[in-house]
Amino acid sequence: MRDWTLRLNGLTKRFGAVTACEEVDLEVAAGEALGIIGESGSGKSTVLRCIAGDLPPTSGKAQLRVAGEALRLFDLSPTERRRLRVSTISVVHQDPVDGLDLRLSAGGNIAERLTAAGWRHFGRIRARAAELLEQVEVPLGRMDDPVGTFSGGMRQRVQLAKAVANDPALLLLDEPTTGLDASVAAGVLDLIRSLLEESGVASLVVSHDMGVVSMLASRAVVMHHGRIVEAGLTDQLLEDPHHAYSQWLVAAARG
Amino acid sequence: MVAALVEAAPVLEVRNLCKRFTIHALGRQVEALAGVDLALFAGEHVALVGPSGAGKSTLLKCIWRSCRPCSGSVWLRRADGTRVDLAAVDDRQMAELRGEELGYVSQFLRAERRRSVGDLLRRAALRRGFVAEDAARLAEAALERVALDPALWGTYPVLLSGGEQQRVNLAVGTLLPPALLLLDEPVASLDARSRDAVLGLIRDLGGSGVAVLSVFHDLKAVRTLATRVVVLEGGRVVDEGPPGRVLAELAVRS
Repeated sequence: MRDWTLRLNGLTKRFGAVTACEEVDLEVAAGEALGIIGESGSGKSTVLRCIAGDLPPTSGKAQLRVAGEALRLFDLSPTERRRLRVSTISVVHQDPVDGLDLRLSAGGNIAERLTAAGWRHFGRIRARAAELLEQVEVPLGRMDDPVGTFSGGMRQRVQLAKAVANDPALLLLDEPTTGLDASVAAGVLDLIRSLLEESGVASLVVSHDMGVVSMLASRAVVMHHGRIVEAGLTDQLLEDPHHAYSQWLVAAARG
Repeated sequence: MVAALVEAAPVLEVRNLCKRFTIHALGRQVEALAGVDLALFAGEHVALVGPSGAGKSTLLKCIWRSCRPCSGSVWLRRADGTRVDLAAVDDRQMAELRGEELGYVSQFLRAERRRSVGDLLRRAALRRGFVAEDAARLAEAALERVALDPALWGTYPVLLSGGEQQRVNLAVGTLLPPALLLLDEPVASLDARSRDAVLGLIRDLGGSGVAVLSVFHDLKAVRTLATRVVVLEGGRVVDEGPPGRVLAELAVRS
């Protein structure tokens, strides 16, 4: 069995008297996607933001294995965390506006990530951007158009291309298809699945939608009121949910 | 002597397996499996029969772990001879065991929608760690084994007939012949010709040393394929033996 790439122990985040997430434990290995299922307010996005470094945790431990070495994420300096964020951890936001500069071209957005990660050779950056855009099925003819002129689905494809541009070890996907029309979402979902399979990245997929999680992740956890109430193989959570809340979610999803 | 013992070890050994579903919204519990014991050897095809609600599908799901058993054990002998309890392994290990040592084919096509048949198989092989070239070769071999017309390898599964889709399902389930293949109504809703073709494929798999555990609604299929029949009732094994005798007695009772 592959060793974990990311391991969380007892992650807790409080905002004053409000507990956003509490005692969250999870592990995800390279080539594996773990789903985090929950409604809005369940704390799932807070978990993601603590891992990404956007929020300081109240307590708990997060370890990320990079080149064989286990880094304790919450003990790193802000500078080290920022460096990890461009070299090793990528986030795909629900709204592409949060992950892209809409004034820049598609190629420019990808170049931004590559440059931040230390790429210098213009020709190579350009070639990599073209390769990525082809992979996410954005017409190359649009490579130099500002992303602001793109449709929602195309923006999300560019955001994905940018996120995987320099082969991160950990990919954090926050409701990656939620803002999209159903047919567009289905295409983006297919694309995400291909990217995950081909890259061998470890990923966390946060979604309120059990269908989305079951398409992308072989294992998942269910979060409710800030806690993981159940963990399992995704088909087991759908077929044989144990916790009352998971059962309610599955019933709701089946309508 | 040792070799003979290894040879005689079952591929699957289910011991005192229990499964109770708790339905919180109704405040109710349903006893699905009440202590099932079962052993299955290489090359054997064991068919589960019994009234609906007897626990047949639940037993398959508890082995595949889309249902989590409450107690008992499910020992699987792996290709390397070691044994693993599927009721106890953690989720990550189970995810890895699926497809490698275990196959599961149900009446529902679980194929991804916007993938060609060939792509589907190649990706399944890539997921198991094969390099592109070997994955392509394995995919072709699996599709040839299920006798799917090569003209269809480039199309989407949703465009195929039920029989063709079920062959794709079987091809995925048998990409690398697993130690144990679980079949849940694999020919339900197929026309007669597709049905016979799929049954033929399943017979060939049994012949090649794969242990098969199946649920068929159709007792004719049980009669032609099974080497042994296990009768479940109320979540318990109530009879087992050669298909001829067991099915005859079942017919008399009902």
